[in-house]
Amino acid sequence: MSIAFWEVTKNFGPKRILDNVSFDVATGEILFILGKSGMGKSVTLKHIVGVLKPDSGAIIVDGMNVTKLDEDGLAEIRRRCGMVFQHPALLDSLTVYQNVSFGLRTPQFARTLRRTLSEEEIRARAIEKLALVHLGPELLERRPQELSYGMQKRVSLARTLAPEPRYLLFDEPTTGLDPVTTNAVNDLILELSRKLKVTSIVVSHDMACALKVADRILVLDQARILAWGTVPEIKRSQEPLIRDFLSETLALLPPEER
Amino acid sequence: MIALIRALGAMTHGFLAEFGRFCLFTRTVIRTAARTRGNLRPVIEQIGHVSYRSLPTVAFAGVFVGAILVLQFNEMLKEYDAGIFLGGLNTSSVVREVGPLIISFLLAGKIGAFIAAELGTMRVTEQIDAVECLGTNPIQFLIVPRFAGIVVSSMLLLALGLMISVAGSMTVATLVCGLNPLQYLSSVPKFTGVSTLVAGMIKSAVYGTIVASVSCFYGFNATGGARGVGRAVTQAAIYTNLYILIANFVLSNLLDRLGGLFK
Amino acid sequence: MKMLRLRGETEDASTEASQAAWARFLHEVGAPLSEQARTLGEIGALFARTLTELGSVRHRGPEVAHAIVQIGIGSLPIIVLSTVFAGLVVTNEIAWHMDLALHTVSMIPGITGQFILRELGIAIPALLLVSKVGASITAEVGTMRVTEQIDALKLLGIDPVRYLVVPRFVASLLSSACLTLIAISVTLVCALSVAVLRYNFSGLEYLNALRQYIGFTDLLCALTKGVTFGAIIPIVSCAYGFRCQGGAEGVGSATTNSVVTSTIAVILLDFLLTYAFTLLN
Repeated sequence: MSIAFWEVTKNFGPKRILDNVSFDVATGEILFILGKSGMGKSVTLKHIVGVLKPDSGAIIVDGMNVTKLDEDGLAEIRRRCGMVFQHPALLDSLTVYQNVSFGLRTPQFARTLRRTLSEEEIRARAIEKLALVHLGPELLERRPQELSYGMQKRVSLARTLAPEPRYLLFDEPTTGLDPVTTNAVNDLILELSRKLKVTSIVVSHDMACALKVADRILVLDQARILAWGTVPEIKRSQEPLIRDFLSETLALLPPEER
Repeated sequence: MIALIRALGAMTHGFLAEFGRFCLFTRTVIRTAARTRGNLRPVIEQIGHVSYRSLPTVAFAGVFVGAILVLQFNEMLKEYDAGIFLGGLNTSSVVREVGPLIISFLLAGKIGAFIAAELGTMRVTEQIDAVECLGTNPIQFLIVPRFAGIVVSSMLLLALGLMISVAGSMTVATLVCGLNPLQYLSSVPKFTGVSTLVAGMIKSAVYGTIVASVSCFYGFNATGGARGVGRAVTQAAIYTNLYILIANFVLSNLLDRLGGLFK
Repeated sequence: MKMLRLRGETEDASTEASQAAWARFLHEVGAPLSEQARTLGEIGALFARTLTELGSVRHRGPEVAHAIVQIGIGSLPIIVLSTVFAGLVVTNEIAWHMDLALHTVSMIPGITGQFILRELGIAIPALLLVSKVGASITAEVGTMRVTEQIDALKLLGIDPVRYLVVPRFVASLLSSACLTLIAISVTLVCALSVAVLRYNFSGLEYLNALRQYIGFTDLLCALTKGVTFGAIIPIVSCAYGFRCQGGAEGVGSATTNSVVTSTIAVILLDFLLTYAFTLLN
């Protein structure tokens, strides 16, 4: 029961974004997908939830082929996969509470639970998820615009966690953040994955985060997989691009962690 | 020369492809709307919100559109010694033709551009993707209430704008052209009747639908940051106007034929 | 005594409450009004600045040329397409009214000609220019503003009014005058073809009637209106672009406001100019 890509190829017009890419994600692990900007990292995530369709190949989520699913099947996949966007992407017209509980009020969520949650249950769950991201219930009635950017990102994460997805897909979670918030987000990813036992895929170009958080790392370049392995394996890699990435990062780390 | 023809061909092709995507989008919205049951609250909120925002602007434009037409027709009719027809000609033109056209041009800016900007911002800040990933159909959740709200409120605003325009032109005729209101009104029945009103209402409904669908289409499909939102708004404004003019041509001919049937 | 004081107190309270209500009401009405007044002031100031900096256009040849391509040539297809449809309708509509009132359609050439030259051929392209040119100028300048490009210009010692507004102003003036003439011609040709094909006028008859009813003043009026609209659109759009703030959302709302204000300005100026020319005749 996990996510696998099997010989996936995708073109945008004449440009090849993914070229015969195959990999899988083990249950409970944190996989980092690294690569330079515009190398098809986010495209990979969008394939998992069926927002994009590959030109050839298959994407298997929990034994279902995403490329062959109808709308109902896709809705089920999207419920199992929680997507965290680069921006907080909170609906500005709704309060924090309405944002966090958004995914709990959809018909297919009720279908998987085989009942509709009562208002008290929804509220309790919203407070519980906010606590997971270290936010208090006093924020529930605030509007997203009144919160700081870091808080908005946490609320957004709580919103993704609310329907209790099996997989968390992070799209550039730390891009454009200051070092302190970056650290906080990284700690949250690590903490949530361990505590909730979810499988996480993180798309990023931040090697430092990857070395700190990931179980395995996959490096995409020129639409192909350049390297794929555990953190020590990647550290030993002799590929020039990976050495470049590493030398930038390792210089910043204390010697014993290199 | 060949380059010019090629450029024109490419332009036509681009326009038709865009128009096709627009039609498909509108079909999806209408189908989704037909499937959507219950909750009218968001629609009514939209209607109230949109109408309230646009009311002063529409009233202002209505008065001046009527006034401009009065001045123009007064000049022309004087040359033909047909000044007594001013009221009728003006009222009929305002209700049947110019009023719906100009006021919906204004709505294209006031409502259409606003909605395109709102949806475009939601698109580029990934709010629409977030809605989709949380298992809600964004067309049903975001587009359908706006679409229905704009159609209804455009019709309301157009009807109101036309009334204000008719009243405004009468005032201007009294003040500037030296006609008294009775003289002005005397020729109205000769020109206008139920068919004029029906024509005005049909046009209002069609133009309202165009404003709604074009602005939702360009806003929903915006890409690429602040620049993308700006482009979405611009395209929504200009294509609304173009489609309204084309619809105006089609409707005028159609209503002409229909009017012929009842003669 | 006590009673009196009590009554006095309640009166005080009620006047206070009503004063608060008044203040709130005045704020509700006044805040948007003062906002509008501020915008008008900004537009006026930008207009004045542009006129004083107009001389700098001599050194801005390439920018003006670029803006003419963007504004003039860029809006040509859509304006021609739209005016074709407007021209095809106008003859029908006027014939319908003439037939209804006078039971004759003999006046079609004169009336359509006058109507196109004085109003239709000018208002339609002007409103299209508002949404095509006005909106894209605001979007462009607004994007430059929120991505801090305008601040960068200032730091480099380049005056944004000279660099951004003046070339667009000049280009829009010239383009609008030309586009108005083109739009009038296209509309006339379409109206003429409908008159010939559907109402059996001969082309010569139509042209004769046009010569009889259309004079030099009509053409002057058309050009004056075209130039005025061409002047006001870039100023309003740039003013909204400059005051834009706050990312994608800001650009969107600035563009919306700019289109609405320009539309209103065009309708209002159209009325004033029509009135002025009526008095002139």
